Amino acid sequence: MKKTKKNNRLTDKKRTAVAAYLFISPFFILFAIFGLFPMLFSFYLSFFRWDGLDPMTFNGLNNFRFIFSDPIFYSSIKNTFLIGLLGTLPQILVSMVIAFALNSTLIRFRNVFRTLIFLPYITSIVAVAIIFGLVFNNQPFGFANYILSLFDVGPIRWGAEYWPVKFAIATMVFWRWVGYNTIIFLAGMQSIPRELYEAAKIDGATIMQQLRLITLPMLKPIVMFVVFTATIGSLQLFTEPLIFLGRGFREEGITVVAYLWRDAFVYNTFGTASAAAIVLFVIIISLTALNLGISSLIGRTKKSKVS
Amino acid sequence: MSKFLKLTAFMVLAILLLAACNGGGNDNNDSANDSANDPETTEESFGDGEIELVFWEFGNTGYDVLIEEYVAQNPHISINLQNADMNDVHDNLFTSISAGSGAPDIAMVEEAQIERYRNAEDAFHNLFDLGAADVEDNFLDWVFQNGGNADGTFQFGLPTDIGPTVMFYRTDVFEEAGFDSSPEAVNELVNTWEDYEAVAREIYEETGKLMTDAGELVFNARRDQATQQYFNEDDELIIDDHPQIREAYDYVANLFDEGLVGDIPLWTPEWFAGMEEGTYATMLAPAWMQGQIKDNSPEEGIWSITTMPEGAGNWGGSYLTVPSESEHAEEAYNFIEWLTAPEQQLEAFLNYGLFPSSPQVYDMPEFMDYEDEYFGGIATAQVFSEAAQSVIPVYKGRLYYPVDEELKEAIDNMSAGSDPDEEWDAAVSRIERILQR
Amino acid sequence: MSTREVGEGKFSIKKFFVYVVLVGGSLVSLFPFYYMFIMATRLNREINSVPPPFTPGTNLVENFQKVTDNIDFFGAMWNSLFVSASITFGTLFLCSLAGYAFAKLEFKGKNIFFGLILVTMMVPPQLGLIPQYYIITELNWLNDFRAIIVPGLINAFGIFWMRQYINEGVPYEIVEAAKIDGCSNFRIYWNVVVPMILPAFATLGIIVFMHVWNDFLWPLVVLRDPAVHTLQVALRALNDSRQMDYGMIMSGTFWATVPLIFVFLMFNRLFIQSLSEGAVK
Repeated sequence: MKKTKKNNRLTDKKRTAVAAYLFISPFFILFAIFGLFPMLFSFYLSFFRWDGLDPMTFNGLNNFRFIFSDPIFYSSIKNTFLIGLLGTLPQILVSMVIAFALNSTLIRFRNVFRTLIFLPYITSIVAVAIIFGLVFNNQPFGFANYILSLFDVGPIRWGAEYWPVKFAIATMVFWRWVGYNTIIFLAGMQSIPRELYEAAKIDGATIMQQLRLITLPMLKPIVMFVVFTATIGSLQLFTEPLIFLGRGFREEGITVVAYLWRDAFVYNTFGTASAAAIVLFVIIISLTALNLGISSLIGRTKKSKVS
Repeated sequence: MSKFLKLTAFMVLAILLLAACNGGGNDNNDSANDSANDPETTEESFGDGEIELVFWEFGNTGYDVLIEEYVAQNPHISINLQNADMNDVHDNLFTSISAGSGAPDIAMVEEAQIERYRNAEDAFHNLFDLGAADVEDNFLDWVFQNGGNADGTFQFGLPTDIGPTVMFYRTDVFEEAGFDSSPEAVNELVNTWEDYEAVAREIYEETGKLMTDAGELVFNARRDQATQQYFNEDDELIIDDHPQIREAYDYVANLFDEGLVGDIPLWTPEWFAGMEEGTYATMLAPAWMQGQIKDNSPEEGIWSITTMPEGAGNWGGSYLTVPSESEHAEEAYNFIEWLTAPEQQLEAFLNYGLFPSSPQVYDMPEFMDYEDEYFGGIATAQVFSEAAQSVIPVYKGRLYYPVDEELKEAIDNMSAGSDPDEEWDAAVSRIERILQR
Repeated sequence: MSTREVGEGKFSIKKFFVYVVLVGGSLVSLFPFYYMFIMATRLNREINSVPPPFTPGTNLVENFQKVTDNIDFFGAMWNSLFVSASITFGTLFLCSLAGYAFAKLEFKGKNIFFGLILVTMMVPPQLGLIPQYYIITELNWLNDFRAIIVPGLINAFGIFWMRQYINEGVPYEIVEAAKIDGCSNFRIYWNVVVPMILPAFATLGIIVFMHVWNDFLWPLVVLRDPAVHTLQVALRALNDSRQMDYGMIMSGTFWATVPLIFVFLMFNRLFIQSLSEGAVK
């Protein structure tokens, strides 16, 4: 009797594992077909010179040597981080606050607000380009420059100066993705049981206390999720600089992905583009490892504090 | 939960729709034929001949009308015309050639983009092998040569239209400054670049208005008059080895320095708005710009046209190529030879304003008599054709446009007050890094 | 008691502040969308004037007529609807299935597999264009919706999201209980897990649907024949080589975005409804 039970449990375990492999296999099969080959191809290309049309020629490590000697490549890394910090950090904080407000039962018209906040994610990129072109216009009549002129600040060339370019692009990033992250936070907050808040209210907790003591701790996995995806997203930033600066970009505003895209599709030098892609990949992986290391460290100290 | 069921139902509906789509796939030709009567749809299949030619084009060419004529005369041919955004056509062509599959039988390639394929002779049929030498004389020399390789042994495409540059000017601003505003008088007044600068100064003193909207266009105008530009025929960078490009650059630097030209980026709303506002006197631009000017500044008789100082340039225009993937190269070639013949070019000009690349057209009476009330009733076609004939053939090179882009960045920076010499050096070192890749 | 009253007073100021933030944020979010509508009602010349117009004009109908004269707008809309719906439902299914496996099932190499999924998110996708296109031509899927739908089902983000939500939202005890009742793993997924994660479905569904609907980079490359164009690809054909008619382009773009608002509202209702159902439990 006991034996059969044990056997059952074993086959159960096996069956579960088979089911699990089956459940995750579609992703890996599809990725092997459509994702792996392009990845390996890029890796291969990084050791070659190729213009996309003529036969490839072996180039050793010269592509890497070239990008590491190119000041614009370093600028692109720096820009990516600066724009990422400027655009992503405030965005996560603000979307959390908005999500908290939208989650509160005391707010009316929640659906209207939710829809409006989400609108930037679906607004056509052409319209966005025109609007931001009007706001961050180099000319004195541009909207941002007009506002600044009221404070006696001279017209700024938003499309060309070091910090203004980054600020303008970061604003676009902020604008386009706040609603998106708000929706994700909202889903996370909704999974927190209402009773917790009601209990806290009975105990006389203020909104800030509720946020600090209930929402944030319960939301930690979602916050980590958003930080993780937003970090990767900001390291792969491309669309916003492209629509704001055009295909040529500029050293002041080029990001790493913009750099490699320009190499590939404007200069048609796929070798250096692939080399830059690999460097970016390494940067992202190491940052994520660092990120995971830090957060598991924090997690451990917190747990030890609790216990 | 019921909502979820509804969503599932929606999905099932969508899948049924797919089945319907796939089923309908084979009837494609019939349905497309119905729409052939409507000249504005983006895709049309013409004729039901057994040889189908896929033709990628961009812009508003009006070729559908001509194609109908062609398939009526050649019943064994049918043509599938696919119109798309200009950049998309080029990007798709590049991807297809690069991956070795999916290119059309005929691809329209813009003049600037054809440079990209300079070293990729494998990707296209050599039109000389198909008979292009016989029609070479149909086209202006420089246009035809730009569609071939450096030593003239390989022809990528047959030219369709071109974009000869002229000087558009505002008669009201010239009059305000006390000048005679007739095309003849302005032509005489602004005969050299020195004149252009002097007139700029006078107009500024008299009216406070600028000579032109964008320094970039002045640079383009002078660049296009240079006999050597960025590269020699061995694709070596030569901008520092001959003075012409540097002179064009310094000329613009000087105009900025004196505050005589504007720095409004092209294609922005404020740039278009400037066409109507009359805050500047001239615009150095190609023939096809007249559409934008008319659209943004509808009042007749304000704008007029004359030739540019010291010659002309070309901006825009396209070639029809036959990618080597095409299995019907001969039929494709016969079609493009017909489509680019003088008679068809005249029709394309009269109906859609495509400026002909064939000098034979310039002598045709319908062309010579073409007058435009908008520009004060002058024979605009003649002004443009005069410009077209004075363009100098010049070798551009595969990386011409990336190089040009870097110089434009330098010009943009100096319009904001940076030192022109420093900007030049910075641009040259950026360009050298592009070439090293 | 007194502290509570102070708290209440502060509370309404905060409430006011919250409304200010929300209204302000909504206006900033709305403006480009509103301007898209303005452009759709105006002539090109009016759009290009300085200062630009901020009130609707009179060309709404004419602009849209120009759009339908130039492209098969409604045909393309059906194509978009089909592609977006297929990818959305396919993604929801595959991602929740994989997410369930990662969250609740034990198997060898789980962490490694999950790590691999995260790693795939880190590869910048822009360079894959030419090799991916090559695969599509080898499969003979040019001008075929499968070229969009099948690669579109790869969604590392979705798996990550679903795992996270199932981890948090589905108590282990319920899964165990179902197992003891003798349910197969798929039945547990279908009958127990799926009903509990409808809010996560709604969220992911919104994001995926909107993304696919608006994507044009990849469809542009593989859908060349206008008969299979999705809306975003078809709209690109409205661009002339030099002369952009923004009134017409924005009209097309605006009407192409409007269905998304309905889809959003639909998912949003699913989201709220599933939550209140959860609350009843």
